[in-house]
Amino acid sequence: MSLDELETQLRPVFLAALAGDAAAYRLFLDTISVRLRGYLRQMLARTGRSEASEVEDVLQETLLALHLSQHTYDPASPVTAWAHAIARYKLVDHLRRTGRHAGNLPLDDKTHQLAGPNDSAALEARLDLERALAALPERTRLLIDRVKLQGTTVAEAARATGMTETAAKVAIHRGLQAMARFLSRRGERPG
Amino acid sequence: MQTDDLISLMTASHRPVDTRWLRRVTWLGAVTALVVTALLVLLVLGARGDLASAWLTAPVIAKALLGASVAGIALVLFQRSLRPGLNPGPHLPLAALPVAIVAIWAVLALSRAPADQWSALIFGSYWRACLIAVPLYALVPLAILFGLARRGAPVDGTLTGACAGLASAGLATMAYSLHCPDDAAPFLAVWYTLAIAAVTAFGALAFPRLLRW
Repeated sequence: MSLDELETQLRPVFLAALAGDAAAYRLFLDTISVRLRGYLRQMLARTGRSEASEVEDVLQETLLALHLSQHTYDPASPVTAWAHAIARYKLVDHLRRTGRHAGNLPLDDKTHQLAGPNDSAALEARLDLERALAALPERTRLLIDRVKLQGTTVAEAARATGMTETAAKVAIHRGLQAMARFLSRRGERPG
Repeated sequence: MQTDDLISLMTASHRPVDTRWLRRVTWLGAVTALVVTALLVLLVLGARGDLASAWLTAPVIAKALLGASVAGIALVLFQRSLRPGLNPGPHLPLAALPVAIVAIWAVLALSRAPADQWSALIFGSYWRACLIAVPLYALVPLAILFGLARRGAPVDGTLTGACAGLASAGLATMAYSLHCPDDAAPFLAVWYTLAIAAVTAFGALAFPRLLRW
């Protein structure tokens, strides 16, 4: 699918998601993550890294950033450009942190149009997000585990933990924020 | 954790998102910063003695307009720099337009004055105060804009910092014009421009180091 086609398809979906449509949001994330996985894999391969788990790590960090930065999307602009700019930022950050400067990587605005087709296998990332999750307060972690692993809805998970649904959503949101903070602080710690 | 799990988690806790919030708080933050900075100037330095009669004269209005136009342009770009994919960088030179107009006005003023007055026209009586006060007072808006930048997604920290610096210097220029007794166009063109450039450079250097997300 060309970038233009993807844009045409994805923009109304994302606008619906911004208005609160969870199913549309799911579709947007599934579609954009396939695209970004291909982009990140290609970019990482250019720096001589081809481990699938590393691609998945950067993808997860990018998705987390997309999720927490939805309010920065300008509805008049292309949603694919927005998503790719965030992916590029996270990729450069990742390369810098893991000891390889972006150097002469052609990370310019045109590069993402080269992103080729790719499979969307659910790959296991390395331990980055797992560690971020482990650093959360127990109450939030239990809530996240319930929703993530047992596939319960937020409403059910909220009931089980004695919270209102809104409070549970806020708690999960704060948990995701804390995980993103944890990930972006990694480089500042020794080791 | 698998990527699908992460997506499930984000979908499950999804709520409606307001994309206009960032623009709203930027302008609100700027107005707040201007009021606070102006109050600080009035409290610490005091208004210029003749403010009551001078505020409608060309030089005072020119100073305020210079600050307002620089800040206005920079704030639009600042807000856009917090939105990935927009890349307002190429529009940054627009902010030099008000400065260029002041520079032309200054050259005209100098060309009409005899050469032995040039020094007085350029240096005025308090050029050091201007050079110190504007960057110092600009720290107030700069802190507010830094707080805002953390709520956005700046993919180019240097650009965001430069825009924030420009905007802060513009707001500080407006505030300091309530005090500054030097009215000559060449004074305005040299010292205010230098002060604005200094704050812009400071923002461009400091923000990338402090903004990580």
